[in-house]
Order: sequence, then C-alpha cells, then structure tokens
Amino acid sequence: MSVETAKILPLRDGAGTKPKIVAKNVQKYFGNVLAMEDISCTINEREFVAIIGPSGCGKSTFLYLIAGFEKASQGELLINNELVVGPGPDRGVVFQEFVLFPWLTVLRNATLGLDIKGVPRQEAEERARKWLRLTGLSGFENAYPSSLSGGMKQRVAIARALSYDPEVLLLDEPFGALDVQTKNYMIQDLQNLWVEANRTIVMITHSVSEAVQLADRVLILSSRPSRIIADVAIKLPHPRDLRDPQVRRYEDEVTALLSAEVDKAMKRERQTFAGRS
Amino acid sequence: MSNATPSAPFAGVADEQRLRSILYRGAASAFLFALPIIVFLLIWETTVRLGWINATILPSPSNIARRAWVLLDPADPAKSILLTHIVVSLWRALSSFALACVLAIPMGLFLGLNRTAYLIASPLLSLLLPLPAVAWAPIFLVIFGQGDITIIAVCFLGAFFPILYSTIQGVRAIGRHSLWVVRSMGASRFDIFRRVLLPGALPALISGLKLGMAHSWRTLVAAEMLAALTHGLGFMIFAARSYMDVSTMFVGIVCLALIGLLIERGVFGSLEALTIHRWHGNGKVGSHR
Repeated sequence: MSVETAKILPLRDGAGTKPKIVAKNVQKYFGNVLAMEDISCTINEREFVAIIGPSGCGKSTFLYLIAGFEKASQGELLINNELVVGPGPDRGVVFQEFVLFPWLTVLRNATLGLDIKGVPRQEAEERARKWLRLTGLSGFENAYPSSLSGGMKQRVAIARALSYDPEVLLLDEPFGALDVQTKNYMIQDLQNLWVEANRTIVMITHSVSEAVQLADRVLILSSRPSRIIADVAIKLPHPRDLRDPQVRRYEDEVTALLSAEVDKAMKRERQTFAGRS
Repeated sequence: MSNATPSAPFAGVADEQRLRSILYRGAASAFLFALPIIVFLLIWETTVRLGWINATILPSPSNIARRAWVLLDPADPAKSILLTHIVVSLWRALSSFALACVLAIPMGLFLGLNRTAYLIASPLLSLLLPLPAVAWAPIFLVIFGQGDITIIAVCFLGAFFPILYSTIQGVRAIGRHSLWVVRSMGASRFDIFRRVLLPGALPALISGLKLGMAHSWRTLVAAEMLAALTHGLGFMIFAARSYMDVSTMFVGIVCLALIGLLIERGVFGSLEALTIHRWHGNGKVGSHR
C-alpha cells in the first residue's frame, strides 16, 4: 500500500482532513549509516497516528525529526506547511523514561512549560491542575517525583506535555518502561484523555495491541533503512476494548504485516552473517 | 468559641507531641553521637592520670581543656588569643574557598557543556586533580613570600579542583532528553541554564563544595605552618613546638577538628537537607512523617 493511495479516515470526533505534519522523502543518515531511506506521509489535524516497526528501525528518530531535535539529511518535514527547523512549544514530547525533574514537585513539573512561556503562576497552576486531574494525579500535586511509581511518573510527563497546550503531542514509546499490568491499565485508563486532548498525536510503539487500541491510523515501518510499508486505518470508535473481535481483527492484520517484515529482516541479517563468515 | 472546629485543639496537641518527639529524637541522636567520644576521652584521661602515658607528650583532656580556657580568655573576647587564631584561619579558608567557587563553578559549567573544551582540558585536569595543593606552597613562597597571599593561594588550589571536577561531572550527567524537554517548551538559553543545568548539577555541585571546603581546611594547616607570620591555627600549633607546649598543640588540633565538623554538618548538612534530601527523601506519598 503506497502512501499516496492511502486514504485518511477521520474517526474521532473533530479529527480533520487538514494536513498537520507532512513528510516528503525524508532521509536520515547517521554518519555513513542510512537509517531512514525514504519516508513520506501525511498526518492530519487531530489524528492519532501510531508508528510501529521492528526494533532498531529508526521509529524514534522519525519522532525526533518531527520534534526538531534531529535534522533530516534529505527531504522536507513540514508542520502547518512550515519547515521544521528546531524544537518549539507547538509540539509536546513524552519520552519512554519520563524525564521528570526531580527538584520540582508534580505540580511544578506540570507547570514548567507555562512558566517558561511566562504565564502568571496562578493561571499556570490552574491549567496544569486540569491535566493532572485528567491523568488521575489529583492529590499528588506537592509530591516529588522520587516518591511516585513508574506509571504515575509517566502520567506526570503526559500532563506536563499537555499543560502548555501544544498542537502536536509526540509520544516516544510512552508505555515502554512500564510493567505489563501498569501499562495495560494506563492504556485503558487514558483512552478518554486522548479524546479530551483533541490534538494531533504521534505515538511510537513496538506493541501492536497498543497501536490498534489507541490510534486512528497505524504506520508500519520496515527494518533499517526504514520506509513506510503499510498504512492501516483503524475504523473503530473510541474507547476500544482489546477483547472486541473487530479490534482483534485489526491486531491480526497489523501483526501479519509486521511479522512478514521482521521475517524478511531476520533472513537478510542471517544471510549477511553467513556471507561474512 | 462556637465557631472553632472541634479538631483544632487536637491538632494543637498533635503538633506539640510531634515537636516533642522531634526534640527527643534529636537529643537521642546527639547523645549517641557523643557517647563514643566521651568514653574515649574518659579512657584517655584515666590512662594519663594513672601515669601510664607521659603527660608531657600526651597531656590529659582536662589539661588540654584548661589550656584552651586560658588561651580563649573568655573574660576579654576582643583580646582572646585563641579566637584571633580561629578567626584568621577561618578568614583564610573561607576567602580561598569563595574564590575557588567563583572561578571553578562557571568554568565547570562551561567545560561540562562544551565538548571540545572538555576534551582539551580533561587530560590536564586528570593530572592536576590528584596533586596535593601543599606541593605548590614552596613555589608560592618564592613568588609571594610568607603571608596571607601564599596561604590563600595554596588553599584556593586545594578547593578549586574538586569543585571544578564535580561541576563538570554534574553538568555532563544531565541527559540530553532533559534538555530536549525544556527546549520543546521553547526555553531560552537562560531558561535551560536556570531550570535544568543548575538544579540538575546541584547534587554533584554540593558534594564538590563539601570536598572543596574540606580540602581547603586541610591544606590551610600545612600552608599556615609554612607561610604564616603571626596568626592562624596552623601557625599556633607549629609555633608551640618551640616551647614544647604540647597542650597548646592539642588545643589547635581539637579546634581544627571541631570547626571542620561544624562546617561539614552545619553548613553543608543543611544545604543538603534543603535540596537533595527533600527531592529524594524516602518519604512516600501521603505520609508527612
């Protein structure tokens, strides 16, 4: 399935058809290593897109390009039709390892983006409290991160990224560092949050069930050097239940596409290895 | 009062109880800290009094205390010899420490942030860091002669390298993701410095300051023995040897130990309690104990 022919199917309320993030033939080298061969895609306004691929395929690199932390070697990356030149407050980022600031309380972590913007303290606190409530952290405002569990830390990081109102939310394997139970609970628990947030969301993940449960669209990347090999629209209303047979069918579809790619990659790896020895 | 909430008096009682338990625990830990020292002093006193040890080489603690009282001359603090020595020593140690902070912290931040500069400076630092600062004393003596400048310069070197090294390590330990988080919030360079680099490096910086002050205090004694003309605890100890005045030497040693302890526990202890211990306190959410 090529990117050009992939139809965008908005399913969440309010998800528009206006392109928000556009990648045109993006290529990325690290030194002499080609990490990203050619990535082209369009992510629409208020769409939740999950990007999945074999490990080491450069999924996170693509997210960092959108965030502006890294620069593309070739091609263009546009947000609102403007070239990405660096990080900015129009994009909020949540990392796998939370990256909270241990010297700030939960509330001060959450108001950080607004403090930097120069929003008056009282207004900043009010806005941060709203997202702390929606992420289920009411009552923990004055705690320091060191006293929180992993799941709660990630809730703080999500609240922190949403508090300063970015148009795009970038999630880099947000549940990757959590244990299975916490992860499943959080995915279920936060489903309404994404609807409430009503932003363009790009999530990097290696879990098919996570992608299928949360996203409107799943982009499948090939192994390195990466290309987009499939673009699957998940035409189901939110919130979704993993036991729902329709969700299962999507899960099977994405898994099949992904494992075919992983098989190919493994075979190639074995051949190169055999050729060398 | 009819308006008073019924819980108010109980809260008062609870506060009082908590205060009392804090006081009690503080007294208990102070006692536990002092007990081995007291026992040690008692054994020392007894062995000297029993004549097992020659009192002209090792005077008894009571003898040292009496000597300290005479030197302290509490009746006229302005003319107290011991106080003058202490003040002069403290002034030298603190001014060299302050000078080291002023130079080492900005330099450390710069070297921690600039990779090229770090690569150039790192081998030099590895060479200079383990060098005892007193080794420089003769060179400074040649340049500046005896006096405060030589002493302060030597103590400064003692404090400078630990502070510089810790600041560099503190800044370098801050992950790039931490910087990315605030950069994606639109942080300016100053914001990044103030909100991430400085607090992020603070735990390492505090241990660097602690180490720097300890080095400065240790170097001071040797530097004063070599370069002091009239005052300072190191000078006092060294000068007393001409009169075989062992108890005065011990008074000096005890003062050095006590002041060192006070600086370490009092100044840096409370600095840590206000920062690192608060951030990484073992208190779990919801409990205020």
